[in-house]
Amino acid sequence: MVTLAAPAKSDRRRPPPPGTGPADRAVARPGLGWALPATLFFALFAIVPLLLVAVLSFASWGGIGAPEFVGLDNWVTLLHDPVMIKSLWLSVLLTALGVVTQTPLSILLGVWAAGPQRNRAVLSAIFFVPLLLSATAVSVLWRALLDPNFGVPAQARWLFGDGNLLGSRTGAIAVLVLVGTWQFTPLHTLIYQGATRAIPEVLYQAAAIDGAGTVRQFFHITLPQLRNSVITSVILMVVGGLTTFDTVLILTQGGPGTETTISAFYMYQKAFKSFDFGAGAAIALLLVIVATMISLIVVRLSGYDRMASPKEGL
Amino acid sequence: MSLRARFPRSVAGGVALALALGLAACGGGGGSAGGAAEFHVLVYGDAANKVEKEIVATFNKTSDVKAVLDTVPGADYQQKLQTIINTPQAPDVFFNWGGGSIQPFVKAGLLLPLDELGPDAAGLETKFLPSVFDTAAVDGKAYGVPMRGTQPVLLFHHRKVLADAGVQPPRTWDELLAAVKKLKAEGITPIALGGGDQWPTLMWFEYLYDRIAGPELLKKALAGDKSVWESADSRKALSMLKQLVDAGAFGTNYDSVKFTDGGSPALLASGKAAFELMGSWEFSTQQDANPDFATKDLGYSAFPTVAGGKGDPAAVVGNTNNFYSVLKKTKHAEHIAKFLKLMYSDDFVKAQLAIGNLPTTTNTEKFLASADNAEYLKYQFDMVDRAPSFQLSWDQAYLQTNATPLHQAVQQFFNGQTDADGFIKAMQSLSTS
Repeated sequence: MVTLAAPAKSDRRRPPPPGTGPADRAVARPGLGWALPATLFFALFAIVPLLLVAVLSFASWGGIGAPEFVGLDNWVTLLHDPVMIKSLWLSVLLTALGVVTQTPLSILLGVWAAGPQRNRAVLSAIFFVPLLLSATAVSVLWRALLDPNFGVPAQARWLFGDGNLLGSRTGAIAVLVLVGTWQFTPLHTLIYQGATRAIPEVLYQAAAIDGAGTVRQFFHITLPQLRNSVITSVILMVVGGLTTFDTVLILTQGGPGTETTISAFYMYQKAFKSFDFGAGAAIALLLVIVATMISLIVVRLSGYDRMASPKEGL
Repeated sequence: MSLRARFPRSVAGGVALALALGLAACGGGGGSAGGAAEFHVLVYGDAANKVEKEIVATFNKTSDVKAVLDTVPGADYQQKLQTIINTPQAPDVFFNWGGGSIQPFVKAGLLLPLDELGPDAAGLETKFLPSVFDTAAVDGKAYGVPMRGTQPVLLFHHRKVLADAGVQPPRTWDELLAAVKKLKAEGITPIALGGGDQWPTLMWFEYLYDRIAGPELLKKALAGDKSVWESADSRKALSMLKQLVDAGAFGTNYDSVKFTDGGSPALLASGKAAFELMGSWEFSTQQDANPDFATKDLGYSAFPTVAGGKGDPAAVVGNTNNFYSVLKKTKHAEHIAKFLKLMYSDDFVKAQLAIGNLPTTTNTEKFLASADNAEYLKYQFDMVDRAPSFQLSWDQAYLQTNATPLHQAVQQFFNGQTDADGFIKAMQSLSTS
């Protein structure tokens, strides 16, 4: 921390003469050495494992002995595996449902939490609690709550019928979406709260002068100003959604049958249940590729890569 | 300025140090195994380790080559074993489930057959119940010494619920169907099933296939004969299971219930369900969770017989026992043979009984009368002792690579996602070598 503050200090000692020459020439670019720790760390714990996974995906390895290279075997098997294809669709479906439910909820909560209301701080703190709990603990908790014979469904038969929530395709997917929403909405609420507070007050004052009410202000000022935050939040949801694992492991174990076997869980099953590390590696790599592609598409479509600020002209 | 200049060097130094430490840490684990005067025993870490520790201590008192007990916490055991067994860190002796759990190791030439352990291991097979000892044999050679308790699967029931409905514990399949009908009419879920765990569902397949086709069917299937799944016996078992499910024996929400989180045992204990097919651990589960019910109303019986079935009505399925197997690379085979002899000592039997495990040594019987729950233990021991065959749970008899598709197949057959043909196809696609 101390060292990080150093350049600023040294810069202050020789400030650029105002108005003369481009400012960035005076502020020297930090040396490459600064990037070294992070780069090394990233290489050691992200790039190298990723490369090893890529290599492993062309091998057959049961954990015993040396991996045996089998060329494209794993990939061919995977692409013809109905469970794999289905798992990709399920991952996309769960992610999409997550985005669709969490985004409006967290925008509304975030905008509300950014306001000056008296009860705001207390309620916001309560909304924030799910984020502090471990995903595993949350899943165990929900499992008990949703027990068909002793949980909530047993008390509300008119709503849940026989309570076979985790035993049916629709029920299991609904539960996963619900738990995901409950768990991750607070994080996105936080993003929107911060972003809403950063919107310049003058915009609202101008709108009020023009006679815009709360609703119009929300749709014409708040939402457009939150655009970049929406993109950030959606990308987080997409990446998080595609790699969802712990809730599936504890709540549904991919069941009933393979109805909630999403790709990340299928990878675990292949690698650590069936000891087919080659197939597991191939699924992992496929997930990396799919997630990267989706992120790129989101960034492209939203114009996020052009880095246009919503505050232009202010 | 000076700070910025110095930074890269100090960082580089720090990183180099960190790497060196990391590498040293990685290398450090290597030296422990295969030391001159000790051998390592790797076991599944849980409450039963108490006995394993005592036995190791007993052994070390008289032996110059010491046994070292390494425990791996439960859920990770198989993964850890799989990754170290062919490395210098591999243990000399390790815990396993027999059957499919050691088959890959045998095929890879890693294990020492018991008859190559030297004179001290001679006659080992006579010290244990044969139906149990046989489950750790691969290609006719024994590789495992039973080292914990046996866990046969029994049909448990709620005594009071059955009495109130005027139902007797069923001795035949038809009696079971009649009981299901009666209990359903009373508004009780006839059979509690933790379908969310999937393996409790599998138990129904294991017993019914054994009763109808006998143990030969699975033996052939494991040997690679996939046609047995299409046989008339197999189809008969499937249609009977279907009949039971369709009769509403398990209710409709069994796939949302688990045994492991206490869901299905609670159904039985609370009287909302009348039966549960479960391993012998149901008893201790109930003793912990519902002690009143366990002492007063928890009844048990053998799985019903099936008229015209080829299987012996006395045959049992379940977890036969856990085993110690020995790695070929060990330098202390003769000392290990002496260590394994302790697995049928009187002290071993008494210690296992004291923690609620039922050992499968031939000398177990004489200690049963003085144990806690003597009646229950005696029932199980006689059952296993008399059993002409003890079918190891399918998910352990098959190679572990098959556990997931096997569990999915039984669940999908029960909930109607696949039919008999789909189930047969799924079983035929399991790998056997």
